[in-house]
Amino acid sequence: MKAFIAGIGLLGPGLANADEGFAVLRGERAYQPTALRVPEARGLAANEARRCPMLARYALDVGYQALNAAGWAAAEVATVFSSGSGDLDILDKNCRALARPPIALSPTLFHNSVHNAVAGYWGIAMQSRAATTSLSAYDDSFAAGLLEALMISGDGPPCLMVAYDLPPPPALAPVRPVTVPFAVAVAVARERPLSPCVLVEWGWRPCDLKESELSAPDLEALRRANPAARSLPLLQAIAQGASTRVVLPYLVDGQLVLDVSPIAG
Amino acid sequence: MGRNATPEIGPLTLVSALGRGLDATFAKLVGGESGLQPYTTVGGLVCAVGRVSGIEDVVLPRILARYDCRNHRLAALALETDGFSEAVERLARKLGAGQIGVVVGTSTSGIAKTEAAYRDPAFAVADALPASFPYRETHNVFACADFTRRYLGVKGPAFVISTACSSSAKAFATGMRLIRAGICKAVVVGGVDSLCDTTLYGFQSLGLLAAQSPRPFSADRDGIAIGEAAGFAILAAPGVLGDVGGMRLMGIGDSADAYHMTAPHPEALGAYEAMSAALADAGWRPSDLDYIHLHGTGTLANDAAEDLAIAKIGCSATPVSSTKGAAGHTLGAAGACAVAIAQLAMREGFIPGTINTLARDPRLQSTLVLQGRFSPVRRVLINTFGFGGSNCSLALERDA
Repeated sequence: MKAFIAGIGLLGPGLANADEGFAVLRGERAYQPTALRVPEARGLAANEARRCPMLARYALDVGYQALNAAGWAAAEVATVFSSGSGDLDILDKNCRALARPPIALSPTLFHNSVHNAVAGYWGIAMQSRAATTSLSAYDDSFAAGLLEALMISGDGPPCLMVAYDLPPPPALAPVRPVTVPFAVAVAVARERPLSPCVLVEWGWRPCDLKESELSAPDLEALRRANPAARSLPLLQAIAQGASTRVVLPYLVDGQLVLDVSPIAG
Repeated sequence: MGRNATPEIGPLTLVSALGRGLDATFAKLVGGESGLQPYTTVGGLVCAVGRVSGIEDVVLPRILARYDCRNHRLAALALETDGFSEAVERLARKLGAGQIGVVVGTSTSGIAKTEAAYRDPAFAVADALPASFPYRETHNVFACADFTRRYLGVKGPAFVISTACSSSAKAFATGMRLIRAGICKAVVVGGVDSLCDTTLYGFQSLGLLAAQSPRPFSADRDGIAIGEAAGFAILAAPGVLGDVGGMRLMGIGDSADAYHMTAPHPEALGAYEAMSAALADAGWRPSDLDYIHLHGTGTLANDAAEDLAIAKIGCSATPVSSTKGAAGHTLGAAGACAVAIAQLAMREGFIPGTINTLARDPRLQSTLVLQGRFSPVRRVLINTFGFGGSNCSLALERDA
């Protein structure tokens, strides 16, 4: 099946946006993971921005980048939000509040604890009532989200897929090893966009190919440090502008296989 | 979509406070009985809940011991009810395990396990969970799809959809896409949510927990009772199920409110768009509907918004009812419960009543069915609306 990628959004250590990330992935710029830009809660009124958790800020930031790169209006695109663990910071706070009397939950922390809180903030920020879903497949959440976005755009409107995870607070670190923050957004469409884009021939298949990795050890370590960073082989293929096969593992039994080739605008 | 291209919904199973299995559920619906009962949390919060009995006695297969938690015991109970796991096994032999996907909706997954671990005296000492705690297998949001695919031994793609109270309705949408894209011939679709302190105290903090039993669409309604439930269905490409189908998924309507994290849109725009999109997707007029299974939670704002949306799509004369006074609000499993109840309504020719509600709020306009009645049912719309303004309606039709 065929689709076009019309825009990318990116935020991770040393990767402040898609253009910077592409330069690093092409090897034009050394990777320096120290710098981390603070994400923007663009589009939210002051009171909503105050309540908006860091995880949602990451998603809003990269989602907006990809939407902008594709030149799409938010209200006209479906959205898929994907995260391997959701908001573990809020989970920790809520579980602590429930563990010791007097037991009381903060209403804001409760509604922010739902997995689709990020989608809620996106809809409010972008004033979009378009179709949306929020999902997870643990460490394969990027592949799962991309598969859902490819299916949605395959017989519907263009789709913006946003994947994100943050390191857990110390209490949960022993059980959920995510060691860096990372968020990525991919704008997918069935019709060829007018802007420069990438053609993707895609399919899900039983496991038989080698998983795509990155040759630079520091970038490969980053890929393994966060479920959303499993996107890096796809981003590198797009950055390098050559025809490439990208293999993303999706659970133990399958793979999402993407044959990527660039198209000039 | 064209009728012949629409996925079939085959064997179903449901376990909730209404009972174990479809027949037990139907007996309670016909009898107009509620499965809600008084409950006290470890911390002393007293409320009504829809609790499933017998979860404590479930023993998971040894190979899945690390997945042991209330949510997965509940899921296993449903998978072993109504002949469901056997039906999947037969289908896997016929199609191949790689042709069967799994999409499960849940809002809180196995969070009760983590809540208990935080209460453990050992937590206070270490101020952290031990590395041996099975977070991935029990509490992580993906855990219940992971558990379900391992339990059933199917190998297609798997997702958890987690969009609060619309989770398992949206799971049907993802299941349908897997079939339409040709990736799966069949998908096990469902919803699982079990009792936990997070939702009980969370809804209490928002002032949405009913003082006694919920009374959806009544003038004196004062909130929800939380229920636990697991429901699964086999969604399959046309022709795959042979004569064990019974119902088709004709249309899906998905929308966001883009208004507020917990309050519904005052003009019910999101709910209206979900319902009208499902009707348009099915190619139906409002007058084609025989019954609408309401989201009908029993909070003042939700019921008013849903009623307004029903009026806006032109369905004020269509029979509607809520089963939340009977089973409680099963949150992420609400969509799967509604699909199972819709199938019972079609199979038995029965429109369930709005149990616990004595009279409709005169300010509302819908044709509320208070007492269940026998009447042919062919076309059903089910509504689910969740936090974050996440709405999903499904259009279901009985196979002739």
